[in-house]
Amino acid sequence: MLSVGFRSLFRREVLRFIRRPKNTFMPPAITNVLYFAVFGIILGGRIDEPVAGIGYILFLVPGLVVLGTISNAFENASFSIFHGRWNEYIHETLTSPLSYAEMVIAYVGASAVRGLIVGVIIAVIGRIFVPITVEHGLFLVATMIVIATLFSGLGIIGGLVARDFDDLTVMNQFILRPLVFFGAVFYSLTMLDPVWQYVSLFNPMVYMVDSVRYGLLGHSDLLEIAPAAYAEIAPLLSLAVLTALTAIVLTIDVYLFKIGYGLTD
Amino acid sequence: MPPAIETTDLVKEYGDLRALQELSLTVEEGEFFGLLGPNGAGKTTFINTLVGLVRKTAGEAAVFGYDVETEYQQARDAIGLAPQEFNVDRFFPIREVLIHKAGYHGIPEAEAADRADEVLKRVGIYDKRNERFDWLSGGMKRRLLLARALVTDPDLLILDEPTAGVDVQLRHDLWELVTELNEEGTTVLLTTHYIEEAERLCDRVGIMNEGRKVTVATPEELKTRGTDTISVRLETPLSSSATADLETGLGAYARELSSNGNRLEVRVDDGGSTAPQLLSDLETAGYEIADLEISRTSLEEIFVDLTRSEDRTVTRSSASSGEDGSATSSTRGEDERERGRSRDEADRNTEREREGVA
Repeated sequence: MLSVGFRSLFRREVLRFIRRPKNTFMPPAITNVLYFAVFGIILGGRIDEPVAGIGYILFLVPGLVVLGTISNAFENASFSIFHGRWNEYIHETLTSPLSYAEMVIAYVGASAVRGLIVGVIIAVIGRIFVPITVEHGLFLVATMIVIATLFSGLGIIGGLVARDFDDLTVMNQFILRPLVFFGAVFYSLTMLDPVWQYVSLFNPMVYMVDSVRYGLLGHSDLLEIAPAAYAEIAPLLSLAVLTALTAIVLTIDVYLFKIGYGLTD
Repeated sequence: MPPAIETTDLVKEYGDLRALQELSLTVEEGEFFGLLGPNGAGKTTFINTLVGLVRKTAGEAAVFGYDVETEYQQARDAIGLAPQEFNVDRFFPIREVLIHKAGYHGIPEAEAADRADEVLKRVGIYDKRNERFDWLSGGMKRRLLLARALVTDPDLLILDEPTAGVDVQLRHDLWELVTELNEEGTTVLLTTHYIEEAERLCDRVGIMNEGRKVTVATPEELKTRGTDTISVRLETPLSSSATADLETGLGAYARELSSNGNRLEVRVDDGGSTAPQLLSDLETAGYEIADLEISRTSLEEIFVDLTRSEDRTVTRSSASSGEDGSATSSTRGEDERERGRSRDEADRNTEREREGVA
């Protein structure tokens, strides 16, 4: 049974971004229309060979969904925490009788919801440009929830360690976005040299993009390039590892709230 | 019933700085307790330790018997805090801010909405319920902080300089309201720079300086700790040798004696009880008395004396000249508030600039 306090904080967090669609939903919607139009139609139209056996514009959809979801989940959590710290109104929460776990789950949950809504918006935009058939629905939903939660949890850490707004920009633009772009959003791992394929495996985004692509389109680069021992279970293994990572990040979040890191003197 | 607040040897260190030094303090349930001290005395640190915004370095602190760290949820549930700083959620109209705050304390939404309306009416800003915090005047912002503290119907109301920078009318309104709440059973902890406020409202006053408790007493008890001045007008002027003789003669109770023409000023511990003895002694010495006046020590003067330290330059005369409290403290307070206002303004500008980040 979720407490009234938890529901109040969760509701407040959700209302904050729902009521500001010009700042929260419109930008990713417009950006992704541009991505699909420029990369998918104008440039993609000149790519004759299917990428990994899939039409290029369709191949793009999962990566862009992941990019939008994790960026927005991270941004929402980090902004909400940091802005609350900056203007000190996070004290309203901190001086309340909510448990630290309730505080974290409310912030993370709301941010994950924003990330998922943006993911759905991008998928719908993609559907306008190309027909999409979901291949592994349950797996897709589970993966999306896990990665949205994971990046919301990371956003909490970002919001707690940031010292000014520039730090948030650095995290999002200079760390998160490049990792996603090199996470096989716009290309298939199978197109890379073996050396770069190997290097790519150290990028955690590869597993997220690949899992969502597997859930949405039924195609996994990892299934094709993974060693034989993992060939059958690569997507499930990715999901399991991401879930474990999410649990670790949430535990760190609760711990940071408990010791008051960035929150108390 | 455990005390509303009980701290034992409470210590808070910021690196080399000890903001609280073995502070032991008890505030009984139902009491109206005033906490006085110059800037930097540790009052806000003490309060923030109770509500969870500062983590103590050592010692114990409990609210209604609940440890503020191990039983933080119960402790925080009992407290309503009106802080010095304007730390209010800027994204929502103030009525919603109050509903959210009540919700965090486990009050269901419908009841929270009723309570929000009630406290907004009580502090007199119900008409502004759909405005956002940034668009309220300074006085209204103070009222909102009080409303937010009250919306959870706390057993312990903590007011951290609630009347700092507000006009006289609002100050009196706030005094009336918190007095009413205290009479209804709410324990009140008030920090203030305004001695008059503490003297007028508080059952007991605690004076802090440099993180330490200097004393705790009723305002009346505190006043008895000061020295009074008995000013006597004699029919004939006093010579300097006569003054020296009197100094010797009255030495048993006179702490200080001075004369100017036919005016004699004697400083004693308790003017009321010493005056008859002084009159008798002067008459015995052959002086005729034309007039007598006793000036009692104000709580403000006692406060300045108690918190005076080597590095302070506060003097009685400068303290007395202040309109609202000790001059030096008030000046420092104004500076800090000014800095707070500047920062608040800067924050708001930054917030507007950053709207796109959200």
